[in-house]
Amino acid sequence: MRRSLAAVLGAAAVLAPILSGCGSTGITAAPLQSSISSTFANLYVLQQADQGNPRPSLRSLHSHTGCLKGTPAMPQGGSGNWLCYITYYPSGPAYPVIAKYKVDVQTDGCYAADGDGPASVNGSPTITGPHYQQVINPLALIDGCFDFT
Amino acid sequence: MTLAAQRWPAFAEPIAGRKRPGARTVYRMELAKMRRLIRVRVIAVLAIIGPFLAVAALHLQSATPGDTAFGQWVHVSGFAIPMVVLGFAAQWIAPGLAAVVAGDIFSAEDHFGTWKTVLTRSCSRGQLFTGKFLAALTFGLALGLLLTVTDLLAGLLAGTQPVVGLGGQLVPAGHATLLVVLSYLSDLPPLLGFTALAVLLSVVSRSSVVGIGGVVAITFLLQVVTLLSLPAWAQLALLSTPFQAWHGFWAQPAFYGEFSWGLVTCAGWFAACAAGSWLVFRRRTIGVAP
Amino acid sequence: MVAVTEAGPAETGSAEALSAVAARGVSKWFGPATALDAVDFTVRPGDVHGLLGPNGAGKTTLLALLFGLILPDEGTLRLFGRTRAEAGAGWLDGVGGFVETPRFYPYLSGRRNLAVLAGLDGGDAAGLIDAALDRVGLTGARQQKVRGYSLGMRQRLGLAAAMLRRPRLLILDEPANGMDPAGTRDLRTALRHLARDGVTVVLSSHDMAQVEEICDSVTVLHQGRAMYAGRLDAMRARAPDPVWRLHTSDDGAAAEAARHLPGVKTGARDDGGLVVFAAQDRLDDYVLHLGRGGIAVRGLVLDVTPLEALFFQLTGDTAEQAKEVS
Repeated sequence: MRRSLAAVLGAAAVLAPILSGCGSTGITAAPLQSSISSTFANLYVLQQADQGNPRPSLRSLHSHTGCLKGTPAMPQGGSGNWLCYITYYPSGPAYPVIAKYKVDVQTDGCYAADGDGPASVNGSPTITGPHYQQVINPLALIDGCFDFT
Repeated sequence: MTLAAQRWPAFAEPIAGRKRPGARTVYRMELAKMRRLIRVRVIAVLAIIGPFLAVAALHLQSATPGDTAFGQWVHVSGFAIPMVVLGFAAQWIAPGLAAVVAGDIFSAEDHFGTWKTVLTRSCSRGQLFTGKFLAALTFGLALGLLLTVTDLLAGLLAGTQPVVGLGGQLVPAGHATLLVVLSYLSDLPPLLGFTALAVLLSVVSRSSVVGIGGVVAITFLLQVVTLLSLPAWAQLALLSTPFQAWHGFWAQPAFYGEFSWGLVTCAGWFAACAAGSWLVFRRRTIGVAP
Repeated sequence: MVAVTEAGPAETGSAEALSAVAARGVSKWFGPATALDAVDFTVRPGDVHGLLGPNGAGKTTLLALLFGLILPDEGTLRLFGRTRAEAGAGWLDGVGGFVETPRFYPYLSGRRNLAVLAGLDGGDAAGLIDAALDRVGLTGARQQKVRGYSLGMRQRLGLAAAMLRRPRLLILDEPANGMDPAGTRDLRTALRHLARDGVTVVLSSHDMAQVEEICDSVTVLHQGRAMYAGRLDAMRARAPDPVWRLHTSDDGAAAEAARHLPGVKTGARDDGGLVVFAAQDRLDDYVLHLGRGGIAVRGLVLDVTPLEALFFQLTGDTAEQAKEVS
């Protein structure tokens, strides 16, 4: 019994690093960028509504994202710490805004994106509502998931 | 002592045409025995009051669970609470709870030495196996359904405000209720997979410690393994991965690839464990130490 | 040691079909260890049959084979004339009993344990539970959890569990184990009643003295082989003299006196006194001779019955054989 358990664990320890090479993890820039783009747009609309501002339409925001893992020389795939820059146009096509996020991506395709500027967009954990109440800033911390299969 | 007192005429005539018992009889007997186990009663009580205690605990403090989906919204919407519970309990606790019954239902007979008692009645090994296996599955299923109901109710009590989904969208109360229920139900297949695994471990080892502890150990092991950068197909083959398949339900647009593959994985593990258990049990020596 | 088998009816198919239990050439091994070696074992319907042997002789293995808990590696087994393959699911119909100490669920009461087993039997077995508990004298303890039962109570509960099956064949593994002498006596009487009602009883034991008083026929096992099989009466005819323990006022002179008497052999005992090998009538002569010779008899006890002596011979109990001196 103990022998077979040791054999299984030994095989797993040997196979795991080998298997890591065989096939993509599914965690690449493309699905991450696409997911965080649309999630950000939805949350931006929510943030504006929470602050009592008029709600922009999703399409008018034209949000798109570039994500980078480590340095460009490193392989751009797999779980870990990514940096994402979301470009969007809240005030029309001539005025782009770039929101920066430090994104911790897990192996199951879920991520937690921590806002890293600009301060007015995602710097503060709370925002002020129309009746001066403090509510959670939806853009401060973004939780999302994409399909890694 | 009245052994010698009288003859035994009442027992002398065999009954003709008696209905032979089957797997269903064994199943009902096992459920009757299960109801009387203390640990089953304890788990049932915990499953009923636990979620409400969790809601109360969350209300009493202003901090929010970090590092988990829906965590930041637990004070805003009651629907976030069952989702936070599901994200944690499903993969860490539920398999162990199901194994408390499934990892013991076969090895208890080894522990008490009662295999030779039940195998010398009118039921075949196949009927005993089937009845016990189904009883173990029933417990897992009942546990999952019970937790679904109590977690949802606890969440609804906390508040029915719309909750923010995993695509940034605001999900209204009606749709949120549906998604919570579907998320919980989607965790039943992997739970049944772990139930079958618990049965396999306990049949092979003839020990409840291995049957229950083995599942707990494997649960932890799988959590460690998922941290590795395995290729997507390997991640999907792990029995713990389908527990998170509900992520796709809450995304926008929703995706179901993980869930579909999860069903295949669970079916595969379940079939392998069930078949393995039967093959080992079928030819085992009972009653005489080899 | 030569295997002695009483000549019985010729082993034709019809004779087998008439027997309650018929095992032919049954062998069973566990890895390198042989538990049973080409054992032939027959029990006539209505008999009380003793399966005798020292611990480790293979008795439990043979009973486990009868119950279908294990399968033989060689040979055939028939219950009521049917093999396992022929009987299918009905192999144990009308068969009840237990292998080794009966075991139950300790967290359930005696009555509830029987209810579980009755459920596994199907039919109306459940209706017999209270009657069975009453017959074995456990009515008072029926609601008590089995973990509080003594060994004797568990043996009785095992017998009750067997009776729920309305057996035509009762197979009991050392049933008097753990019972007090009163319980053993009552058990013997009950088994005789059952036999009168036509139930065939197979019981195993390592104690020939117990078996002598209740069984009609006997199979003696030793190291997995059947050393003797046949009627008890026939066995008595072949048996050596009984063995007695004798204490006298002058053991040395008593031993000397025995030399001159035919049919009397003596030997010294480690703890004083003499061991005497003699039939009853020869012993009577010896005692009278001692008295006439001025040697007083201070104690005379039957130590080993003739059948026990035969049993020890068959099973090679060399310690007993070594006592034979002079």
